[in-house]
Amino acid sequence: MSVIELKTQIERKAEEEATKIIENAKQEAERMLSQSSTRMNALRDEQTEALMRMLDTEERAELAVSRMDMKGELLQLRSSWADRVFEETSKRMVEMSQKSGLEYREFLGKLILEGISKIKGNKFIVEANSRDSEAIKKELKTILERGAKIKNQKIELQVKTSSTISSGGVVVSTEDMTQYFNNTLEARLSQARETLSGEIHKIVFKTGV
Amino acid sequence: MEVKELQELIELERATEEKVRKAKEEAQEIVKRAREKTESGVQSLESDPQQQELRRKRREETEQKKEKIAEEYKRKTSELNKTAEQNFEKAVAFLIKEILRVEI
Repeated sequence: MSVIELKTQIERKAEEEATKIIENAKQEAERMLSQSSTRMNALRDEQTEALMRMLDTEERAELAVSRMDMKGELLQLRSSWADRVFEETSKRMVEMSQKSGLEYREFLGKLILEGISKIKGNKFIVEANSRDSEAIKKELKTILERGAKIKNQKIELQVKTSSTISSGGVVVSTEDMTQYFNNTLEARLSQARETLSGEIHKIVFKTGV
Repeated sequence: MEVKELQELIELERATEEKVRKAKEEAQEIVKRAREKTESGVQSLESDPQQQELRRKRREETEQKKEKIAEEYKRKTSELNKTAEQNFEKAVAFLIKEILRVEI
């Protein structure tokens, strides 16, 4: 082999090797980019799905809180209407007691008789505010007669004025104070609140009447 | 083979070695650039504007739904107040009647 041929061969081989190296590197780069693209697409899809799930959860939670707040406000509103009914009733009952008309005087008598019927004995103390005490005294004869019928025996009533019974009604107790029946307007309203709140809600919020 | 020719061959051998070395360097550079490109791609995912847009759109939708709920409850509140106003007197009358009702 001549020197020229040898030189040519050396140059050709070097050229081939260099070309091969570059070609390999390009192929490797292409493979990397292709793999990366596939991986990134998968990752993007995965991330989007995860994000959607997270946003769904966030939205559900936010809307649930929103609905709960609103329901709470509605409940409060319902409750406030029921309160207004009781407040107005209380106001009107007090007005009725202040007027001390016939209907109220009869009512007072019934309150006493109910107290008498609920507790044992035949000697009773009736406590009321000064205005009601006067009214009771006027109706005492009738009350005693009706009380005797209820108890099937003669009864005795002692009417006392109490400053603690401000709104009206009576507290009936035995003479020895061992038994008593609170029939003041306040007590009756409080009892009504316990037993009739449901009914009041039904009436106040009944639609299509 | 003369000494001069031998020297020329050695020189040529060196030159070709240099050429191959440069080719290797270039190859490394090609692979490095590809790696950098893939890494920047992954980084760009983290601040993907499409996802940002998705979040923004979704927030808007959620706010609209919340407004709708608020409107619905506003309507319910108004209806409730109307009904309660209409039935208020009836409820008071019922309660007074019950309080006046005495069981003997």
